[in-house]
Amino acid sequence: MGNILLFDEINNVSVTKQVSEKKLPGDLAMWIFIVMELTVFAVFFIAFAVTQRIQSDMFIEGRATLNASIGLFCTLALIVSSYFVASAVEAVKKGKNFVASRRLILALLSATVYLVLKLSEYTTLVGLGYDLSTNTFYTLYFFITGFHFMHVLLGMIILAYMGIKARKDSYIPTDSNGFEAGASYWHMVDLVWIIVFFLIYIIH
Amino acid sequence: MNRLINNVHFSAIILIVLTLISTLLAQSNSQTNLVAILVTLSVVIKGQQIVDVFMELKNAQAKWRWLLLSYAILVPTILAIIIYTRST
Repeated sequence: MGNILLFDEINNVSVTKQVSEKKLPGDLAMWIFIVMELTVFAVFFIAFAVTQRIQSDMFIEGRATLNASIGLFCTLALIVSSYFVASAVEAVKKGKNFVASRRLILALLSATVYLVLKLSEYTTLVGLGYDLSTNTFYTLYFFITGFHFMHVLLGMIILAYMGIKARKDSYIPTDSNGFEAGASYWHMVDLVWIIVFFLIYIIH
Repeated sequence: MNRLINNVHFSAIILIVLTLISTLLAQSNSQTNLVAILVTLSVVIKGQQIVDVFMELKNAQAKWRWLLLSYAILVPTILAIIIYTRST
């Protein structure tokens, strides 16, 4: 009897441990990478804000040449894209790889809207004679948004790869770490853009 | 209710609505402290939604969740303080 009770106690402890153990989505390396990327962006953001405070007239004039509607639609495109990626993660966890791949295609289409809008804004600004060397505002504007643009491109490549793997039914519900890691990267891109939109298009 | 708040559909709606509201407020040319606080708060809430719901950190280890949440809270707040506060 004593032995049985002891066995039960051990069993209870192990069950309790399982319940309290909280899992980090994706893998640790991706989260370390995400934190490093966010830190780099934070430095750029603070540099932009401090420079705006010092050279406020230049920033008011510079911001007047930007189209807030483009910033708004870029934000909406990335939110919708992130939504489809989050829905795709849910589908993979339910073993619905084909559904996940379709949602990733929708996420990529939405991200393409962002790319087109951002490129059209760059084209307009360059057409008006503004570039990296015009003044500090445009240097920081092109640098921050361009750096983010590169992250979107990399994120889209990752999403496309995940979509192809999902189409081949390569993910299993009990081990979707790779899929979650890619999705987390994409959400990081979205999180950064929300602050970019606030800092460059909204604050004045 | 808690399940609804953690739902990706609900979160996407919150993100879109807050984006539209903050854009409207910013375009209103009203330069009050209240507008500045509301716009900054909307960015913080959007960051929290992305971290907790989209990144699924709501039920992850607390240190990772708070690391990302502190970014979503502190960075917009610091930016707003730098830009909105008047130098004396």
